[in-house]
Amino acid sequence: MYSLRSWRNNKLSHKKQKQMQIKSKLTVENKLSITGWFFILPATLLIFAMSFYPMFKALYMSFRTGIGVNMEWAGLYNFTRMLKDKIFMQSVRNNFFYLIIQVPIMLVLAITLASILNNPKLKYKGLFRILLFLPCATPLVAYSVIFRSLFAIDGYFNTILLNFGILSKAYNFLGHPTSAKIVIIIALIWRWTGYNIVFYLAGLQNIDPSIYEAVKLEGASKFQTFFSITAPLLKPMILLTSIMSINGTLQLFDESVNLTAGGPANASITMSHYIYNLSFKYVPNFGYAAALSYVILLLVAFLALIQMKVVDVRD
Amino acid sequence: MKKILFTLACITIAASSLLMASGQKEATVDTSKSDELVVWLWDMGFNGATMQKAAEIYKEDHPEFNLVIEDQGDWNTLQTKLTTIASSGKLDSLPDILLIQDNAFQKNYMSFPEVFTDLSNTNIDYTQFASGKTGYSVIDGKNYGVPFDNGAVIFGYRTDILAKAGYTIDDFTDITWSQWLKQARVVLEKTGKPLLSAQAGSSDIINMMLQSAGASLFNTDGSPNIVNNDVLYKVAETYMQMLDDGTCIEATDWSGYTNSFSSGAVAGTMTGCWIAATIQGATDQAGKWKITNMPSLDGIPTATNYSNNGGSSWAVTSACKNVDLAADFFAMTFGSSMELYDAVAQNGVLGTYLPSANSSVYSQPNEFFSGQPIMSIITEFAGKVPAIEGGAYYYDARDAVCTAITQIQSGAVAKEAFQDAQDTVNFMMGN
Repeated sequence: MYSLRSWRNNKLSHKKQKQMQIKSKLTVENKLSITGWFFILPATLLIFAMSFYPMFKALYMSFRTGIGVNMEWAGLYNFTRMLKDKIFMQSVRNNFFYLIIQVPIMLVLAITLASILNNPKLKYKGLFRILLFLPCATPLVAYSVIFRSLFAIDGYFNTILLNFGILSKAYNFLGHPTSAKIVIIIALIWRWTGYNIVFYLAGLQNIDPSIYEAVKLEGASKFQTFFSITAPLLKPMILLTSIMSINGTLQLFDESVNLTAGGPANASITMSHYIYNLSFKYVPNFGYAAALSYVILLLVAFLALIQMKVVDVRD
Repeated sequence: MKKILFTLACITIAASSLLMASGQKEATVDTSKSDELVVWLWDMGFNGATMQKAAEIYKEDHPEFNLVIEDQGDWNTLQTKLTTIASSGKLDSLPDILLIQDNAFQKNYMSFPEVFTDLSNTNIDYTQFASGKTGYSVIDGKNYGVPFDNGAVIFGYRTDILAKAGYTIDDFTDITWSQWLKQARVVLEKTGKPLLSAQAGSSDIINMMLQSAGASLFNTDGSPNIVNNDVLYKVAETYMQMLDDGTCIEATDWSGYTNSFSSGAVAGTMTGCWIAATIQGATDQAGKWKITNMPSLDGIPTATNYSNNGGSSWAVTSACKNVDLAADFFAMTFGSSMELYDAVAQNGVLGTYLPSANSSVYSQPNEFFSGQPIMSIITEFAGKVPAIEGGAYYYDARDAVCTAITQIQSGAVAKEAFQDAQDTVNFMMGN
């Protein structure tokens, strides 16, 4: 409605109008900005206090060494010491074994299943999605303990193998170094595939179906479609899931503690499990444990960096 | 409408979480009251029951006294809590009294000296306790703990299974391990049951055998004694032999181990006498068990049939505001009360209080164990246990030796595997 006041404002001189505009623009922007900061401030302070402060303190601690509370400054001593630590080297080897074998298998499986689930003509899609995602919702300790009892000498798998005559004597899955690691890999694949399927499904839904129609008209097979169209378009998602998987696998803890208890003679122990032992089971050396945890951080960061440089398509 | 409901839901969640937060605050006990003590322990049926009885006895003369017992579930949980609190420096969060595994006492004192209170100059009479046991909580000549339960090793057997193979309990008393291996093979052949089970990865049996010969994984100067430890090689050989024969089976975890004899799959068990409570849990096996001593190592001059496994002591923390009360409590109960030890004997709790060996309750026959007076038998065993060097690095050494034995089982050369173990322990001790 054209009121008297607005008619009068319109009659203001051009210069004064401009001044008023600039003034109000700054104030509004500033106001919004300050308000925004006030909303973010509590969360930022909390994150700083609960995440960043402990990280800096841990870094400081990694340069000290000693028993319990009796720690002294030691510079890079912890970092040189860990190179002579046979158990730590074994745990690094174990973590990389899980990484190299479990992550590719799981991601390939996830992407395949996601493609199948994305098919619009598939019946009972909701049911399959639930069934595939359900393992992720299980508590880590509970599922590790159950897997341990499944693979025990008198467990489910041994009973089946014995009854079907495939084995004549029960096989101690958790008592041999290689099979213990494989049990952990199986457990990890079972648990985390569904999680990654969700990400890939989301990525697939963002792909325009008209691309698929065009490709189908040109006579491309399912295989070609997948490798030439789907996979490249999913690159950001693949990058995300692989970084998350590497992060998770390098920090593996619950399975090592509850499934294999570090495995026969440290054959399946992970870095985090060893750090826990150093702090709570053996005579505690918190400085050394902090140094080891920073090594995990550096490894994760390094691997993530490599991946982003190689795969990232964003400008 | 939706907006109102949503807002209501948010307010409800916020309010209830506030209420929960304040609720938790009220649960913390106010230890500034001068006649109340808080104690952290595990195993309510064993340790908890004993503490409750002790509190009752003390209350008879001190009516205002109150003891609050907080069950921590198991030793590992308590150890983790203790480590976390002690390393944070906020020692006030600790209770007044802690129950600590003897094997971990030195380690905890070395790591967190400010947690402990010196009890040497209180009215607790330490001469009334077995010296081998008290030694665990003595550091630099000062007493930091009150000795509690006895961990003397017993070997329990199912007499009905032994009878099927043609043996009696006497055939397994005062014998050597080679005799045991021979007889156990016969039992396995005739009845299909192993005579022993162990937790895989936890070498309690190995340490028990070592201590029975007076040997330890550490020298008197604290350095590890693994690769040149002749007794250890003999122990490893015996242990691997029984695993190979199938006369000893390995369980994946603690409950697997206890189930093995509770279910009747295994016809015997060898560990600290505190296992008697668990054995008696299988009520259908009443009257079918008997205990005796463990076999001794062949060819070792210092070998005996007696050893120790486990046992714990009470410690008074620096968070305790009334140390005199705590010390007096211990002096009047664990330190001198025959009534206490008699009362808890029913639970299978055996202390290391020397005068209790003469108690009439101890010589009472135990029906579950075919009428044997197990308490006096165990107390007699306890007196014959060789004392050894423990040291703070008990768990480090135990795990390293366990790893070595697993490697030897997979075909590694014994000397190399034990050298690796010694290197690992040296590494752990090198900080």
